[in-house]
Amino acid sequence: MSALAVTRLELRRLFVRPLAWVLGALTLAWLAWNFTLMLGSFLAAQIRLAALPEGPGYTDLVAVPLLAKLAELAFLVVPLLSMSALAGERREGRLALLLGMGLKPSHIVLGKYAALLVWLLAWLALVLAMPLALAHATAIDWGKLAAAALGMALLLASLAALGLACSAVASHPAIAAAVALVLTLALMWLNLGAQMAGVDDGAINWLAMSSHLQPLLRGLVASPDVVWFVLLATVCLALAIRRVAAERERG
Amino acid sequence: MTLPQPLLKLEQASRRRAGRPAVQGLSLALERGQVLGLLGVNGAGKSTTLSMIAGALAPDGGRILLDGVDLAEHPALVRRLVGWLPERAPLWQELTVGEHLDAHGRLRGLNGAALKQARTRMVERLELGPLERRLAGVLSQGQRQRLGLACALLHQPALLVLDEPGNALDPVQVAALRGLIREQAAAGTAVILSTHVLAEVTAVCDRVAILHDGTLRHEGNLAGDDHAALERQFFAIATARAAA
Repeated sequence: MSALAVTRLELRRLFVRPLAWVLGALTLAWLAWNFTLMLGSFLAAQIRLAALPEGPGYTDLVAVPLLAKLAELAFLVVPLLSMSALAGERREGRLALLLGMGLKPSHIVLGKYAALLVWLLAWLALVLAMPLALAHATAIDWGKLAAAALGMALLLASLAALGLACSAVASHPAIAAAVALVLTLALMWLNLGAQMAGVDDGAINWLAMSSHLQPLLRGLVASPDVVWFVLLATVCLALAIRRVAAERERG
Repeated sequence: MTLPQPLLKLEQASRRRAGRPAVQGLSLALERGQVLGLLGVNGAGKSTTLSMIAGALAPDGGRILLDGVDLAEHPALVRRLVGWLPERAPLWQELTVGEHLDAHGRLRGLNGAALKQARTRMVERLELGPLERRLAGVLSQGQRQRLGLACALLHQPALLVLDEPGNALDPVQVAALRGLIREQAAAGTAVILSTHVLAEVTAVCDRVAILHDGTLRHEGNLAGDDHAALERQFFAIATARAAA
């Protein structure tokens, strides 16, 4: 119950703070603009594409690329949203207050994580609504779109956990955001060198986020990819809980 | 015949902060309905002691017993039994006074009618009615303290821990605060009040404990208007090191 109380409190704070609204509005406007551009290109090439036997359709040329753009924005948006979740609370003396209410560190972290997740999934739903608005007028590859949406949901969930872990460790929200951004980019492009050298398998490719996101965006749902995201989120949340628990010891 | 156990008992509680001992071997006991004044100069260890009692900080030595139960083994006990107002009431600037009360109530496990009742009681008692829709970020220091007090008292704790609650209050607000403390004590709530204002202690406390350099230097009952005696005692302890 106390985790739920933390979630309610955090959601309320997200709802009334301008940062979440500004980020939401700007990113949705940017994505809507991209959606119209991609849709225009698709409509222009539609007749030519229809002649191809296995030609890409609306899902491949509009819906999935739009989600890929959302992923790029998420690298910046998630650290900004999560930066003050714990670092800000600690700076203002509110983390001590929450611990002084007898709340378990796991309830504090999971409550805040759930609130972040609600916001991010609502964001994803609004972006998905753009291509889905034309579902009645075009043929959507539902399987491919569902896989891409699952990939995005897993990406957002793991980025939120990473952001919270950075916020738990950092002394200042800005440091938390910077560290989360650097770690996210490092995780995403970890295997860039290996790919340029033509190495397609190996540990470095397994570690890289892009190796697990790309198949999902292509419509391939494989359990190792899903497990990778779940594992990343679990490890980050465990780290955040451990750090908050240590707050009572460290002071 | 068994003696009733104190609500709060500190047994040789110690805590290091920033590499130095902030509190050393502190032993104290507090019964229900008692008001204990915790006196000391800045850095004496008052806030560290209160943070430990509130469960926000774990002692590195000794034990803290709440209602006979070790706080280290059952940290969630403070949720029901303790109300804590830290030195600068930590508030969420973007939330209103009413939202603070609701959030604190829910975090303490209050819901539905019980939460509504507790909120109404606190709004009336601390005269927060006109401020209910105001954002915490625009409150004056005195209003912040009142809101912090309301949040600490919302769940009717058995032990109220106040860290310099009189800071930034005007004389009228100080008088109201003293009235509230007496009222809580009369209702059976144990109160610990940290301050460096001696008049605050003589006005509302039954007992006094003087901390210096993290150790308990004096503990005793306060009998009536012995302000001058307390002042002598306090200055003797606080200036002993300088004199030495």
